[in-house]
Amino acid sequence: MNLEKVIFGFFIVLAMTLNFGFFLGDIDNPAHHHIYELYAAIVVSLIATVLKFGDRTHVGAILLSTSLAADLQLITAAILWASLSGKYDEQALMVYIVSLSGGALMANIISVVLLIAETISQRR
Amino acid sequence: MNSILFLILRRLRRPLILIIVSFAIAIFGLTMMPGVDDKGQIWHMTVFQALYVISYTATTIGFGEVPYPFSQSQRLWTTFSIYFTVIPWFYAIGKIITLLQDTALKQAIAAERFGRAVNLLQEPFYILCSYGQSATLLAKALDHMNMRVVVIERSQSRLDELELTDSKQVIPHFCGDAMLPDNLIRAGILNPHCRGLVTLTDNDEVNLAVAIAVKLLNPKLPVVARAERDDIAANMASFGTDHIINPYTLFGDQLAMRVHALGTYLLHEWLTGITGETLLPPEPPPRGRWIVCGYGRFGKSVVANLEREHITTTIIEAKPELTGCNHCIVGSGTEAKTLKEAGIESAVGIVAGTDNDINNLSIVMTAFELNPNIFLVIRKNNSHNAALFKQFDAHITMQPTYIIAHECLAHLISPLLAQFLTLVRDQTNDWANQLISQLVSKVGEEVPETWAVTIDQQTAPAVTALMHQHITITLQTLSRQPTDREQALDIVPLMLLRNQQPMLVPAFDTPLMMGDQILFCGRPEAKTAVTTLLEHDKTLTYIVDGSETPNSLVFRWLMAKKV
Repeated sequence: MNLEKVIFGFFIVLAMTLNFGFFLGDIDNPAHHHIYELYAAIVVSLIATVLKFGDRTHVGAILLSTSLAADLQLITAAILWASLSGKYDEQALMVYIVSLSGGALMANIISVVLLIAETISQRR
Repeated sequence: MNSILFLILRRLRRPLILIIVSFAIAIFGLTMMPGVDDKGQIWHMTVFQALYVISYTATTIGFGEVPYPFSQSQRLWTTFSIYFTVIPWFYAIGKIITLLQDTALKQAIAAERFGRAVNLLQEPFYILCSYGQSATLLAKALDHMNMRVVVIERSQSRLDELELTDSKQVIPHFCGDAMLPDNLIRAGILNPHCRGLVTLTDNDEVNLAVAIAVKLLNPKLPVVARAERDDIAANMASFGTDHIINPYTLFGDQLAMRVHALGTYLLHEWLTGITGETLLPPEPPPRGRWIVCGYGRFGKSVVANLEREHITTTIIEAKPELTGCNHCIVGSGTEAKTLKEAGIESAVGIVAGTDNDINNLSIVMTAFELNPNIFLVIRKNNSHNAALFKQFDAHITMQPTYIIAHECLAHLISPLLAQFLTLVRDQTNDWANQLISQLVSKVGEEVPETWAVTIDQQTAPAVTALMHQHITITLQTLSRQPTDREQALDIVPLMLLRNQQPMLVPAFDTPLMMGDQILFCGRPEAKTAVTTLLEHDKTLTYIVDGSETPNSLVFRWLMAKKV
C-alpha cells in the first residue's frame, strides 16, 4: 500500500462525492443546495488539481484536464452566487448554479473512471 | 517548454496545497464567527466576503474591517488567520523565487530557448561546436557573408564575449556540452536548413565524439573537424568526416606553399579571405639554410615541409629528449649564444615556432639584431598579443587560429571552392599569378565574394526555361549587366563542374548545360546581378537578344499578333 496513492485517490473521489452531494436535490430549490457544500467541493477540487500536477503520463494529462474543467465550472458557479445573490430571482439563480455544478460532476466522474481504469490496468 | 512547465508545477505542489488548505480553513472559520451589523443585529459573513477579507489579509495588504467593524470573535479568528495564512503565502513565494534561480531550471530554460531560436531560422546556417579563437574568426567571416551561425560552447565566459561582439545577425548560442547528442539536435543537425557543422575544440576526443554523433544522426551533413593526433584523424576519416584540420601540419604546408609557389598561396588566401579585407602581396621567403626554433608538432611539420622543398634546416630545441630530435642544438633560442651556435649569420631565415609568444618574440628580436637581413617567420599563439606582433612586424606572422579559420571557410563557402583550391595546387605558379592578375583587374584588390551556382529548375528557372526553347546560354550571357547588356559584369568564372569533370577557369563562350555547377568570383553587387539573371526570364531574354518581353497577357498576345 502506498500512502501517496491513498491520498491521491481520496481527494479525487472526495471531489466527486462532494460535487454530487451539492448537485443532489431539486434543481430550483435553494433549500436543497447548501453553500458550504459547494465551498467544500471547490476546495477539494483545487487540491485534487494540484495533486495531479507534474504527472507526465498520458493518463496524468487527461486527469489534470478533467480536474481543470471541474474547477472552471465550480468557480463559475461560485462567482455567480457571490455576485448575483440578492439581486436576482433566487430560484432562477439556483438553476444556473446547480446546472454548472452538474457539468463539473460529469468531469469529476470521468476523472474517477480514469482513476479506476488505471488502477485496474496495474499488473502489480 | 512543456517539460519546464511540469518541472515548475511539480515543485510547487506542496506550497500550493498548503495555501489552498490554510485559506479554506480561514475562510470557513470567518463565516462561522458571529458579527454585529450597523443596526445591532447578529450577522454572518458570506463565503465571498470571507474570501475577500482573507485574501487581503494573507497577502499582507490589509484593507481593514469591511463591511462592518468586526466583533470580538471575528477579530479573534482574524488574528489566528493572519498567522495561519501569511506563513504559507511567504513559503510559496520563497519557493517560486528559489525555483526561478535554480541552475537546473535556468539551464532547461536556456536549452529550450536555444532550440526555439534555431527552429525559427528559416535560412541556411552553420553550427560551430566551440567558440575559441579560430571559431570566433570563422563566425565573424560567415556573419560578414550574411550566413547564419549557431554556437554551442562549454564555457560561459566565451559566450559572454560572443554577446558583446556586434554581428550583423543574431547568433543563437548555448552553454552546453557538444558531445551530448541532445544538444547537437537542439543546435539543428537534423534541421533541413543546416548546411554544415564545424567542431574546432582543442580537445580531440570531443571533436571525435561530435563528428561520430553527427555522422550517425545525419550522414549527409558536412562535418569539418579539428584533430591534432594522427590516430584520431584516421579514426575520423574512417567514418566519413568531410574534412579534417590539423593546425600543425596545415601551417607547415602553408609555409611550404609560400616558399614553393607564392602565387598559389596568394590565391588560396585571397579566395578564403574575409570579404572586404585587402590583401597585400607578401614577400617570397628566400631559399637557403633556415633555422627552426622549437621542434614540437609545429616545428616538425615546418621542417618536413621545408626539407621537401630541398631547404636545409638547423633545429634549436630546449628538450631534445622529449621531442625525439636527433641532431639539434640544445637551447631555447632566446639567447644570442645558441643562435650563434646555430650559425645565425649565414642563415637566410628563422622560424620562431615555440608555443610561447614571449619566447618567440625574444627569438626573432635577438635574431634580427645578429643578422638584420634574415627572413623572420614567427608563430603567434594568442590573439590577445596582437599589438606586440604588429609592433614587431615580422615577414610572416603565422597564427594557427587564423589558418584554421581560413581552411574552414574554404570548405564551408562551397564544396566547389575546396575542390578548386585542391586543383590549383597542381597548377604552376605562373598559372596562379596569371589568374590573380585577371582577378585583380576585374574585381579589385579587396577580397572578393566566391559563390557557386547550379543550373537546374530550382536555382536557375530562367536559364532552364530558355534552354527548353533551344536557346544557347553561355557564361557570357550570365556575365552581363541586367540593366544594360552592353556592359559586362565584373565576375570571373573560376571553375565549371560538368558530370563530375572540373574545368578550370572556363572561357566565357562555353555553352551551359543542365546540371552544370559553376564557381564564380566577384564583388557582392555582381552576385546579386547574377542571381537576377538566373531567376528572371524577362531579364535573361533581354540579355540574350536585347528584346523586352511584355509582362501582361494582353500585350503578349498583341505582340504575338504583330509578328
